[in-house]
Amino acid sequence: MKAGLEVHQQLAVGKLFCGCPAEFSEEVVGAFARRLRAASGENRSVDAAAALQASRDLLYHYEIVPPSCLVDLDEEPPAPLNPDALDTALTVALLLGATPVDEVVVMRKIVVDGSTTSGFQRTALIATGGSVEAGGRRYAIESICLEEDAGRKVAERRGEVTYRLDRLGIPLVEIATAPEIRNGAEAREVAEEIGSLLRATGRVRRGIGTIREDLNISIDGGRRIEIKGVQDLRRIHEYVEREVRRQEFLLGLRETLRSRGARVPPPTWRELTEIFREASSGPLAEVGRSGAVVGAFALPGFAGLLRSPHGTEERLGRELAGQARAVGLGGLLHSDELPGHGVGAAQVEEIRAALGLESTDAFVLVVAPDRGAAERAIARVAERARAALEGIPAETRDPQPDGSTRYSRPLPGRDRMYPETDVPTVPIAPERLERLRASLPERPAVRRARLARMHGLSVEMIGQIAHAGDLDEFEALVERGHAAALVARLLTQDASAARSGAPAAPPFSLDQMDAVLSASTAGRFSKEGIPAVLGALATGAGSLDDAIAAAGLARGGEDLEGIVDRVVRSNAEIVRSRGAEAFSPLMGDVMKQVRGRYDGKAIADALRRAIARQESAAGTGSG
Amino acid sequence: MPESSSSDPGRTIRELPVGARIELRSGDGRRYIGAVVPNHTVGSEPTVRLRLDNGYQVGIRVGPDTSFERLPDVPGVGPGPVDLLPITPPPAAQGPWVTVLTTGGTIASRIDYATGGVRPVKEEAELLAFYPELGRSGPVRIEMVFDRLSEDLRPDDWVTLAERTVGAFSAGARGVVIAHGTDTMGYTAAALSFLLADLPGPVVLVGAQRSPDRPSSDGPSNLHAAVQVARSASLGEVAVVMHAGLSDSEFSLHRGPWVRKMHSTRRDAFRSRNGPRLGTVRDGTVSVAEWARRPGPGPARLDGPLDPRATLLWFYPGLEPARAEAFVRGARGIVLAGTGLGHVASEHLPWIRSAISGGAVVGMTTQCLEGRVDPYVYATGRELERAGVLYLDDLLPETAYAKMLWALGHASDPVRVAELLRRDRAGEFLPRRTGRADE
Repeated sequence: MKAGLEVHQQLAVGKLFCGCPAEFSEEVVGAFARRLRAASGENRSVDAAAALQASRDLLYHYEIVPPSCLVDLDEEPPAPLNPDALDTALTVALLLGATPVDEVVVMRKIVVDGSTTSGFQRTALIATGGSVEAGGRRYAIESICLEEDAGRKVAERRGEVTYRLDRLGIPLVEIATAPEIRNGAEAREVAEEIGSLLRATGRVRRGIGTIREDLNISIDGGRRIEIKGVQDLRRIHEYVEREVRRQEFLLGLRETLRSRGARVPPPTWRELTEIFREASSGPLAEVGRSGAVVGAFALPGFAGLLRSPHGTEERLGRELAGQARAVGLGGLLHSDELPGHGVGAAQVEEIRAALGLESTDAFVLVVAPDRGAAERAIARVAERARAALEGIPAETRDPQPDGSTRYSRPLPGRDRMYPETDVPTVPIAPERLERLRASLPERPAVRRARLARMHGLSVEMIGQIAHAGDLDEFEALVERGHAAALVARLLTQDASAARSGAPAAPPFSLDQMDAVLSASTAGRFSKEGIPAVLGALATGAGSLDDAIAAAGLARGGEDLEGIVDRVVRSNAEIVRSRGAEAFSPLMGDVMKQVRGRYDGKAIADALRRAIARQESAAGTGSG
Repeated sequence: MPESSSSDPGRTIRELPVGARIELRSGDGRRYIGAVVPNHTVGSEPTVRLRLDNGYQVGIRVGPDTSFERLPDVPGVGPGPVDLLPITPPPAAQGPWVTVLTTGGTIASRIDYATGGVRPVKEEAELLAFYPELGRSGPVRIEMVFDRLSEDLRPDDWVTLAERTVGAFSAGARGVVIAHGTDTMGYTAAALSFLLADLPGPVVLVGAQRSPDRPSSDGPSNLHAAVQVARSASLGEVAVVMHAGLSDSEFSLHRGPWVRKMHSTRRDAFRSRNGPRLGTVRDGTVSVAEWARRPGPGPARLDGPLDPRATLLWFYPGLEPARAEAFVRGARGIVLAGTGLGHVASEHLPWIRSAISGGAVVGMTTQCLEGRVDPYVYATGRELERAGVLYLDDLLPETAYAKMLWALGHASDPVRVAELLRRDRAGEFLPRRTGRADE
């Protein structure tokens, strides 16, 4: 298999075509609704993906937020390309060793899913070529683009989608690698290295959703599949590997279908609504409830091939259902899962008889609000079944949180772009590149080596810090006087352990981490107490003192000596019988009471002293 | 084999046919493969514009050390020959039809790759490619009258439009839609209101604020609403139909003499000034105010001609009387857009007096756009009125200008022209009222 990666990173420099601040907002100050349609582009052919979306005839709602301007609303032409965004994209290009173009031409890329108010996304090619090194291999870069982000989808009802305009127009740098990635692990390494490089510019946005990856995957004998908008880097390898399995499954299925002589007849309208008048459960209950119609489509030779062959998740039924969903239906029913879903065995026989099917034939049922919708779904199901005879259809898929993907739309062709003539082109003067070259940030690999050298840590450890969070925080905390090893542990282990109980909590701020480290260093609690204090901060402790108390690390009136003395006194018998050997059993008791509050060595010293005191006191008493 | 490394390879490349596929090699070793597309930037740096295989266009600087090689063309790459969208011809007009007259403007424009701007479409097929839904609600007949942006239209074009409108009604159209550039659509709407008489159905001007080459264009929904109005509204006057707000669900009808473009870019730029809206199209339902003019029995009639010897002068502080006098020289009619209640600096009184005594008709309107002019409140007004300036109540300056052309076309005696100017002809004067009914 081979895979290419497209990394999309939001920049923190104001919106791309108006310069307005890019701030997420929970405050909505107005709304409007629009319909989009596929406009004919440069060569006047309507792009397939755009046409599909338009055929769904959705009404798109947009929520206006306080920083929205008329450009966001598509009520005003865009302003010229944000020069800071262009500088950042050029910096990224130079860091990757890519070659900038001489004149940037902004294009319109048609996206009729309503996510932009204009119906297109503005995008410009900034540079080509270059490479990135990850895991000891070098991967070629194909292109570096600068584009505007789309609106943020906040709600979706049947036939209507709502977007908020706060994300629309935020500059994105898009870096596309050549299809040279060989497996999921490599995909993740490349994504992480590109991420470090982007962060090195110091002008990227941070947090969930600010960096997104598209994966282009194909295997021998297949076609290109694009998995669009992966936000969780940790899942990249899973998406890649499951997609490879899906494609292998489809190629295997093709052979089976061909050997069986399976075929897909042209779609014809066969209505079976009458059979389900009395259906009371499952999707078919909609017939009685809302007057839905049921259409059927026969798939000769497909029997048994719609379900999962070996209990794996890949199955043709799922692929066909994706097509029904793409025209707005909830899905479909197929013969390999019937009887079931409210359809009885007798009804299955009735359907088979009505369609004149042999035992080797399969069928699908679509339940739709009207005949038109049912026919659209069946046309697409037929098309998808026919594609199964050819192998793997090129398409775009949506990543799901569980690591699987769902059909989204056909892969857009190249006709989807035409020039954005409202925006002047931007010549890139050699002097501009010289200026950027002179102030290029340190490359991540160089920086990792430098930090390792400076702080006596391994390059691997520095890599882990970069992996877990970021090196800026590491450097800042070390600069504030904290021990490098302690900071490394905090960033690579303690912080994530602390947030495991509150995954939705925002990342710790530099000041929070600084305060916790300082308190520990000052002896208010031990190093071992750091995760607990951070955990309390993540779960809502208002101040450091509250967090220390919530973690059970607050020291009462009794000091360490007092606690240790109390333990030793109440175990006087053991001390008498075992003398200094009593240390090990008593240490456990003491730790139960003071773990995390004091440093381990201090506790041990105190205990040894207390035992000695007790021994001498006992000696005096008995003698 | 390199085809050129002549003294000006950039020029040689730019002379290749649009869509020619080349491999370009720059002196510093870069290579680009793509199709040559026109460079929109006139007079900028010497770059060649290529459309790369990934669909992006880029500009590449060319110098003496640039070379290129012509490659075989790849079908479907580059702008090349165009494939028209599948076009369903408009259904043969059976039953009442709507005639759509196109004049150019954004609503009937597309991107021009020669200049980078938008240009009006020149063929009916091109228009239908943009608006395949045009005939969906019933028969339409399309006539291309002009292919000009609206700032290029002139008063004689208004007369042509009025003639074509009369012709469409005579041929049996139920209503007429005029697709028009938005910049001067208010002027045309006002002029047609005076030029057309005895209308047996609606005359609806419509435009687009956002270009039709974008999926979000307001053109299709505006046009659809306008055709609906022309097909179904009980209306015998000239109206403008455009977006009522930001959404694609509500459209406003504006009376021709009252409408003004109030914003350079917004979809809801068109507003009725002084008066209420003439009607709405809301979620597909057309409703018209009860005071709207109803269709007459016809036949529609051209109430021309226009005499173009009139000017519109915007007064501003510091305007020198000599400059104003030079500007209006030779005009039979002068419309002043004065300040406030209808004033100009008193130093202008001498030339105004002499223009009037020379036979010119001078009308006064207000720059305020809302409200009426009134000569009696301030001394300047009284002096102007005494000098013979006609106070034109609540007419918009551009409506007063259009009406002046019409009045001059109908009478040579200044007294008679003044009479025509003051008499309501198309519902252009709003009866006195305290506020606006619906806004």
